[in-house]
Amino acid sequence: MSPVLEARNITKRFGAVTALSDGSLTVEPGEIHALLGANGCGKSTLSKVIAGTVAPNSGVLRFNGSDIAPRSPRDAEALGIALFYQELSLVPQLSVADNIFLGHERRTAAGFIDAKQLRHDTEALLQRFAGVAGDGFSADAPVSTLAPDQRQIVEILKVLARKPRLIIFDESTAALDRRQVEVFFDILRSLKADGVSSIFISHRMDEIFAICDRITVMRNGVTVTTLTTAETDRDTVVHAMVGELAVPQRFARNSAVAAEPRLVVSQLSSRRLDSVSFDARPGEILGLGGLQGQGQSAVLRSLFGAEPLTDGSVVLDGKTLTLRKPADAIRAGLAYVSGDRGRDAAFHGRSIFENIAAASLVKERRRLVWPNQLKQRFIDAAAALNTKYDGLDAPIGSLSGGNQQKIFISRWLATNSQVLLFDDPTKGIDLAAKADFFTLARGLADQGASIIFYASEDSELLSLCDRILVFNSGAIAAELTGDTLTAFHLTNAAYGKAA
Amino acid sequence: MTLLRNRLWLVTLTALIALFVVNWILQPNLVTPNVLKSNLTVFLPIVLVAIGQTYVVLGGDIDLSVGSVVALVNVVTVSVIAALGGGPGGVMLGMGAGLLTGALCGMVNGLLISGLRFQPIVTTFATGIIFGGLALLVLPTAGLPVPAEYWRTYGGYALGLPVVLWIFIGALIAIAIISRRAFFKHLSAAGGQRTAAFQTGLKVGQIRIMAYVLCGLFAAVAALCLTGETASGDPLMGRMLALSSISAVVLGGTALSGGSGSAFGSVLGALVLGMIGNVIFFAGLPFDYQTLIQGLITLLALAGGVLVSRR
Repeated sequence: MSPVLEARNITKRFGAVTALSDGSLTVEPGEIHALLGANGCGKSTLSKVIAGTVAPNSGVLRFNGSDIAPRSPRDAEALGIALFYQELSLVPQLSVADNIFLGHERRTAAGFIDAKQLRHDTEALLQRFAGVAGDGFSADAPVSTLAPDQRQIVEILKVLARKPRLIIFDESTAALDRRQVEVFFDILRSLKADGVSSIFISHRMDEIFAICDRITVMRNGVTVTTLTTAETDRDTVVHAMVGELAVPQRFARNSAVAAEPRLVVSQLSSRRLDSVSFDARPGEILGLGGLQGQGQSAVLRSLFGAEPLTDGSVVLDGKTLTLRKPADAIRAGLAYVSGDRGRDAAFHGRSIFENIAAASLVKERRRLVWPNQLKQRFIDAAAALNTKYDGLDAPIGSLSGGNQQKIFISRWLATNSQVLLFDDPTKGIDLAAKADFFTLARGLADQGASIIFYASEDSELLSLCDRILVFNSGAIAAELTGDTLTAFHLTNAAYGKAA
Repeated sequence: MTLLRNRLWLVTLTALIALFVVNWILQPNLVTPNVLKSNLTVFLPIVLVAIGQTYVVLGGDIDLSVGSVVALVNVVTVSVIAALGGGPGGVMLGMGAGLLTGALCGMVNGLLISGLRFQPIVTTFATGIIFGGLALLVLPTAGLPVPAEYWRTYGGYALGLPVVLWIFIGALIAIAIISRRAFFKHLSAAGGQRTAAFQTGLKVGQIRIMAYVLCGLFAAVAALCLTGETASGDPLMGRMLALSSISAVVLGGTALSGGSGSAFGSVLGALVLGMIGNVIFFAGLPFDYQTLIQGLITLLALAGGVLVSRR
């Protein structure tokens, strides 16, 4: 039988970054095919190319034996390829029924929406999840009133209603509970029986082994191997994801980590966190790892008072903190450095002086400012990081990404913060600046700061951290120290605990 | 609260009934055919403009140019009628030219905003000035009366009912039809969550342009009605209509952020605005209070909307 989908040697560059250098994937009719890899391996880019949301630079895409080049989700859908979106594809104001059939409404002869048929079709689809979907889940309910798992079910039904021949399920089980996943798997099996193929992406290895026929593993933008699930095991798959990577150079610690924890976090819970507890010591760099979006940023942002917590406690130097807004965190001595500088850090068009001053003004509750009193302090803070700049009056935009990030770190050095929260801070920074940043982080820790560091690149975590907490579905799946600080253990834990 | 969510127009309907009763007490002859008819004649233009505005707002945009569109349509219509000699054929062609003008104005707004991705508020603010300027070019001073048949027909009766009532009924039928088309759902989707609408494969650009064209068409019909009332051209006509129509849309329970609401609600909102004017007049308050009170009530409606949607 000829394959339903054949992707060969797909490449995709975003500016100077190559996201995909040799993406290949073959899916047979009626097959459930897993696509696996660590962060940044190119699996999302490859799925987007297949679904038409991203145009490849080169490569061959064949569907049912003929060459295709979908240029939009609409094109792909017309061919019979549908992509399940993790979020953002539902309209909260519209009802469940309207969302499921949006753009595919059955019409009467006069061109009106056939409300009766719409309701009937929707109820037939909802029937599949009857009993496991929870309260308030009906055809007429506005999507804005639904719980996250119910929204995910609507997304799944919306994809099914389009009756595609190939479906890409990207993290479609993330919000579902066990019973709902079972129902979803039953649906996948009945699709399979009808000859519909699925590409399945999940951060739960157990699910992949439970439902998938074959597994394609990607690493650094290249398809590494395709394995038959029945003939392989978890270790083989994780080894394929990690590869024979050279052990990253580790930044040696020059001082001992104190024994007493400075920051004790217990049972943090929120929309995206599930009872997260850990502690951080002076002189330590604590890494947060795992696949992207598993709660690492949420922990840091919650600690900084930028995201609400539903439960949990944060104790710093023996004092319990109340963190309702970032100002609370700043005054308690916490600092937050984000990789998304444009959104979280920069005052565009303002001077370097003002950009450094922001945190000091909040922490010291200054209402009037005499710049000359602060200037020397800021110059010292920026000099400590080897920042290259023309003068404190130059606009922040005149600096490169790496130097901007140094300014935002200076902002916190000027407040003398002892707990630094780094949220993927090296995003979009060139290699030389990254190396500077690592030296700087290590130096700060050696002087006694506690650093909590999330990086989407595993190699950064492995080279810098004394300890790594691996996140999966908003909870800590594993804690890596000493001998277990390896790419293998990190990737293995990122895909959930071994069953 | 759950009952009220998405049914904000129920509150507006209650307010409308209350205002109507107060008005009736203050003006005992309110419920006579002639008085009701003259009330409807006064309210009809704002009702029509508000209906058109609803579609633009539903799509997540806004149209501040509708007032100028009304003026431009008015002067184009009376100029074409005058140029063609004022016969029945000329009147029909003049009205056709007016409707076309309205649709074109909407098309221009839509293309600028949806096609070139300009900001809706600033763009329609600017095009409003441009349309107003064009109206002054077409007819520099007020005047140029329309033939008597035009305003007599508009003020008269057909099949035993006032023509203005027929137009009102026609507008209600039009919004009932539009609300049952797939277009209406697609528009709500485009306004509610634009990326979702795009990823679902909807032609978001076309949908938004269509909303502006509809808005321009309804503004044109409103201009034709105003022409029937004033019986002549006026390049400064309808200056307050853009802001009043937005007030009416808000009072009718349509979210200014887009995605949810109904044109029927806006009809109720427009009637409430009109009735406020009536009540102020018959209560003997100075007329100057009307704008102030309409503004306060719009603010109240906005606050109510925020309170209901907040859980």
